[in-house]
Amino acid sequence: MEKLRLKFSKHGPIRFLGHLDVMRYVQKAIRRAEIDIKYSEGLSPHQILSFAQPLSVGSTTDGDYIDMTVNSLESPEAVMNALNEVMNEGIVIIAVTALPEKCVNAMTSVAAAEYLISFREGKAPNFNLEATMKAFMEQPEIPAIKKTKNGEKTIDIKPLIFKYEILDDKIHLLLSAGSANNLKAALFIESLYNFAGEEMQEFAAVFHRVETYLAGEDEKGHYVQPMIPEKLYDFSFAAPGKAEMGKIYV
Amino acid sequence: MNEKLALSDEILLSIGKPERYVGGEVNSVIKNLSDVKIRFAFCFPDVYEIGMSHLGIQILYGMFNEYEDVWCERVYSPWDDLDKIMREKNIPLFALESQDPVKNFDFLGFTLQYEMCYTNILQVLDLSGIALYSKDREENDPIVIGGGPCTYNPEPIADFFDIFYIGEGETRYRDLFDLYEKCKEEGISRKDFLKRVAQIPGMYVPSLYEINYNEDGTVSEIKPLEGAPAVIEKELCTDLSDAYYPMKPVMPFIKVTQDRAVIEVMRGCIRGCRFCQAGQLYRPLRERDVEKLKEYAMTLIKNTGYEEISLSSLSTSDYSKLNELLEFLIDYCNEHKVNISLPSLRIDAFSLDVMSKVQDVKKSSLTFAPEAGTQRMRNVINKGLTEEDILKGSHEAFVGGWNKVKLYFMLGLPGETTEDIEGIGDIANKIAVEYFETVPKEKRNGRTIEITASTSFFVPKPFTPFQWASMNTKEEFLEKANITRKGIMSQLNQKHIKYNWHEADASMLEGILARGDRKLSTVIYNVYKRGCIFDAWSEFFKNNIWMEELENAGLDPMFYVKRERTKDEILPWDMISCGVSKEFLWREWERSKQGVVSPNCRQACMGCGGANYGVGICFQPKTGV
Repeated sequence: MEKLRLKFSKHGPIRFLGHLDVMRYVQKAIRRAEIDIKYSEGLSPHQILSFAQPLSVGSTTDGDYIDMTVNSLESPEAVMNALNEVMNEGIVIIAVTALPEKCVNAMTSVAAAEYLISFREGKAPNFNLEATMKAFMEQPEIPAIKKTKNGEKTIDIKPLIFKYEILDDKIHLLLSAGSANNLKAALFIESLYNFAGEEMQEFAAVFHRVETYLAGEDEKGHYVQPMIPEKLYDFSFAAPGKAEMGKIYV
Repeated sequence: MNEKLALSDEILLSIGKPERYVGGEVNSVIKNLSDVKIRFAFCFPDVYEIGMSHLGIQILYGMFNEYEDVWCERVYSPWDDLDKIMREKNIPLFALESQDPVKNFDFLGFTLQYEMCYTNILQVLDLSGIALYSKDREENDPIVIGGGPCTYNPEPIADFFDIFYIGEGETRYRDLFDLYEKCKEEGISRKDFLKRVAQIPGMYVPSLYEINYNEDGTVSEIKPLEGAPAVIEKELCTDLSDAYYPMKPVMPFIKVTQDRAVIEVMRGCIRGCRFCQAGQLYRPLRERDVEKLKEYAMTLIKNTGYEEISLSSLSTSDYSKLNELLEFLIDYCNEHKVNISLPSLRIDAFSLDVMSKVQDVKKSSLTFAPEAGTQRMRNVINKGLTEEDILKGSHEAFVGGWNKVKLYFMLGLPGETTEDIEGIGDIANKIAVEYFETVPKEKRNGRTIEITASTSFFVPKPFTPFQWASMNTKEEFLEKANITRKGIMSQLNQKHIKYNWHEADASMLEGILARGDRKLSTVIYNVYKRGCIFDAWSEFFKNNIWMEELENAGLDPMFYVKRERTKDEILPWDMISCGVSKEFLWREWERSKQGVVSPNCRQACMGCGGANYGVGICFQPKTGV
């Protein structure tokens, strides 16, 4: 038995798939690829498979993760190749690694996610991104209205924004993620528009996930690190030269 | 990567289930435009989840795309949220694979599975920017062709179609495509092309038939023009085992109605239930070779990754090698973690054994379709199931641990009496009694018998012995549902019996359209123009508009519904033959009136005419009654 972590990208029309449909798609691909995945016991066995972080409909990604448990395998790379063989364009497995046996699953270990937010043609904000962003972040508290099951509540998102920069009219962000302190990129952008006093046009923002991170700690303090530190983009906060060993101290 | 989408991100993000419209599904086919001569848009005129569940399209889609010169793509009815946006913004309807407008295609094919989809045909034509009436189409518009069960009486929609393909699609499409390519090269006009199409067996070109009427509204004459054949004979796939079968079906991203691999075990049915249209249309029964089916099952599971497989046919219990097939599937599927979704099987020791292996007995239910409440009525409709069969099957199932039973009946069958209707409650009660007698209290473990009885309203269909019969009116139907309900309420075990019945308005309209004539095309056109689409969906169905437009057209619903037809009446669909003779159907109609049952095709031949195809059950030794 072995645990694997796979990193995937998602581009093109397939970005309109909802999270549950992506899961169903991957489950079927695993069966087509004849991967010896472990099934749960019981009357209706299901694959031991866990997705790190759901991605909202319409978004693209270069850094999403799946953990799976297999009974046997030739090599992690063979699993990746077999999967890529049977998937249609759109979703590509771009990296794979074996995990130590005692390892929390992808879902519970996520600590941060990196995004690029751009704007659809003709729908860019009227306010100056650079200056507004600066003033926005200088607030002692950053209020955002979070919609929950029990209605709306105002939360302070400042501690959930780890890093930011403006990159060619795009907002580059490292946000807290995971089951405990998740900040959706959509909520961030809404809050920024509110601060600027501007009404956001419908579907103005385009969300792209660059990377998903795990938490860690060493003598220098708390940091986050890509779930598999491979194939990082130059602009990524964890890119070589920007952060030592892909570690970003937060 | 194909980034091209017909709809903008803004639209896709503002409508429900954008995955319905973006294509790109696993096993969908993309071709190079310069390599193909014919572009075929294949439409199931209902929402994606329904259309993608249909096996017929998967077969023809795969078969067409095996042809090098043809690229077949899929089209479904945009759901009403997108429908509104497309009209507002003048966005032409597109095919899923290429995302190109349907109007640029060579063919637009519709599969016609039920009458209540007729306004959706007009929706698809309209959104595509194609003239609704065949006569108004331009030279370069796609050729609009229909196939499927509703084409056996296509008259109500005849004016909207250029061609109807009568019969199974496997046989004649290649001929049609060859002719199309030839005519295109020769620069032959649309009209002349259609004249030539009429010479291909199985092709009904409705514009080449003049229909005249008597003063009472019945058909006086069906006049073929320009050398079109007087009768179009159904096309039949004579070698099912060697016929094309899709090993790489297109797999939807979203959950659809039939979300599983399907193997079609046979076509046709030996039973001859007198209300059943499919039982006549697909005669004679032809089985697929069991070794082929095993191979298909393995390949499909491998190619799709589906975690469920089902068997498809009209009456799977009648498949001669069913034991062998199921035993194989149970082993194979167990090993590959695939569920078997069983069709409703005749309940006996064998099927109960199979069911206990593949289902959770506590959750699953037994299904019986007695269709009528008394033996007398079941003899009238030639439904072989007896009360004894039901009680014996129930008994064995209760011993095996089942406690849920579903019963299906029809109301409004020809010659039905109050006693027949009250029989529905009786039989449900007897099943409950059987349960209490079979399972002692201490073995019930807090569970008890749960019976669900459902009734639908009988709609007479063309090419059945009941095609001449009178159909009940809405008032009669509702009265009968009420008698059924009271009959159930009066039973000793009534609190264990749940009763459901169908809506009567929709059944009435289905009855009008099923046996309707060409005069109805104006009505369909007018109700569509007044906003009717998705009539098969109760939340969209607007019965009052239909009734108003029938009246505006001077048509009496009772003429189509209530009127019993005479033997010598020319029926609107008399230019079509499904291989079963009118004489045979009339004999069966007479026998039904006398309550005489007819043997099934395995027992004895009743001379329906199906043997003319030279294949299948007709040429196997008979067992006798």
